Amino acid sequence: MEVVAGPEVSLTQEAEGKLEEPKSMAPVETPDKLQSLGLNAWFGKTHALKGINLSIRPNKVTAIIGPSGCGKSTFVRCLNRMHEITPGATASGQVYLDGEDIYGPRVDPVLIRRRVGMVFQKPNPFPTMSIYDNVAAGLKLTGLKKGKQLDTLVESSLRRASLWDEVKADLRKPGTSISGGQQQRLCIARAIAMEPEVILLDEPCSALDPIATSKVEELMVSLKGSYTVVVVTHNMQQAARVADYTAFFYLGEMIEYRPTTALFENPKEELTERYLTGKFG
Amino acid sequence: MARLMDMGMERLRVLLLEMGELSEKTVSTAIDAYQMGKSLQEVDRWSNKLRQLDEQVSELAIELIARFQPLASDLRYIKAGIEISYGFYRFGRYAHDITQVLDMFGDLSRCDHAVIDAAGQKTEEMIRMSIEAFSDRDVDVARKIAQMDDSVDNLYRDYIRKLLKSKSTDIKCALSSALVLRYLERIADHATYIGNSVVYIVTGEEPVP
Repeated sequence: MEVVAGPEVSLTQEAEGKLEEPKSMAPVETPDKLQSLGLNAWFGKTHALKGINLSIRPNKVTAIIGPSGCGKSTFVRCLNRMHEITPGATASGQVYLDGEDIYGPRVDPVLIRRRVGMVFQKPNPFPTMSIYDNVAAGLKLTGLKKGKQLDTLVESSLRRASLWDEVKADLRKPGTSISGGQQQRLCIARAIAMEPEVILLDEPCSALDPIATSKVEELMVSLKGSYTVVVVTHNMQQAARVADYTAFFYLGEMIEYRPTTALFENPKEELTERYLTGKFG
Repeated sequence: MARLMDMGMERLRVLLLEMGELSEKTVSTAIDAYQMGKSLQEVDRWSNKLRQLDEQVSELAIELIARFQPLASDLRYIKAGIEISYGFYRFGRYAHDITQVLDMFGDLSRCDHAVIDAAGQKTEEMIRMSIEAFSDRDVDVARKIAQMDDSVDNLYRDYIRKLLKSKSTDIKCALSSALVLRYLERIADHATYIGNSVVYIVTGEEPVP
């Protein structure tokens, strides 16, 4: 891939001025955790993402919103090189993780996916494994054997996913035996167990009831203390509740990206205004 | 296709326009009554009606927020609608206070009403402009209200300063005029706030404090 600009330069920020911090946060000069530059993605001949420049702040929740087919899921799948797993899918441009292009020639996508974890729309615990083994699976693969250390990591992951108290007596039961909301938090625990730096969540609450949804939302906000969180959602109110920054995508383009309150109260772009007020189509 | 929330938004607009019209009538009636020296029951009644309408606006606004979780210009319209409604209610409340002055002080026919005439005309003009700015979403008119506010402030302050220096002992005229000027000055403030709310609805800009 052709490198067009250094990782320290943000096109988004250059074009629109410094990204404002939410009112409650003091301005901090930390580098962006993730940054896409001129990111394009295709499914065969379909151009799904068109030159996305977007910088993601560390230890914040960033929401990607937009109507179905706008490219929001494709965008996050490009952030940990999962997009290319789909047959016929290709991408161009750069995605910098801590300043390193994850599409660079010597980068191992498996290592990137370990640093940038993903949680999907439908809870997908490994169906043949117990709750314990679901969380431990990745750790075992990386060579951490059974024993006290594994127990400790499984427990701490389940605790951080706010699931421990609900399952600690049933660790040997199948991962699929718990409720959908619990399964989703189990998937989050499985992602956390790998000690990622970024957690991508693609419509994590679409299949959940309101109570399970609010648990996952509380979890997303608490996770930003330790991780950078990116959530794709078609639920604007969810973005309003959990996100520090929100980006609006439409037809494969990023239309507007600002602190959440500013975007929802006073969008600058007519397209954003029409989407937020339901005046589309 | 109309959105589900449009019916409620239209109801909000109609309520606010009704309040604007009623508040204008209430204030001008109160000023006229004061000048003519007679107390009018209508002002009381209309002022009460404005309070009830303000409550209706608040309830409708909360219902719209609860049902539709409005965003962007819808959210700004509802937030500003609550403030504009409060402004119209305050117009009515100060009109009521003006008629109370007459009830308290009795006959004021010997007092010079020139300064109240001047402030009253300006204030009524500002009320008309606030209603026009809201109904036409006219940012230019809305911004002009704030410029006029200074002249009403000055009439009030100058009158008080003059009173402090004057040797006049006509306490009754001095106090009643000062009170009415104070109420007019407050009405002008609320007209300015309504103008600010209109600017906020249209542009998203909030006034610099």
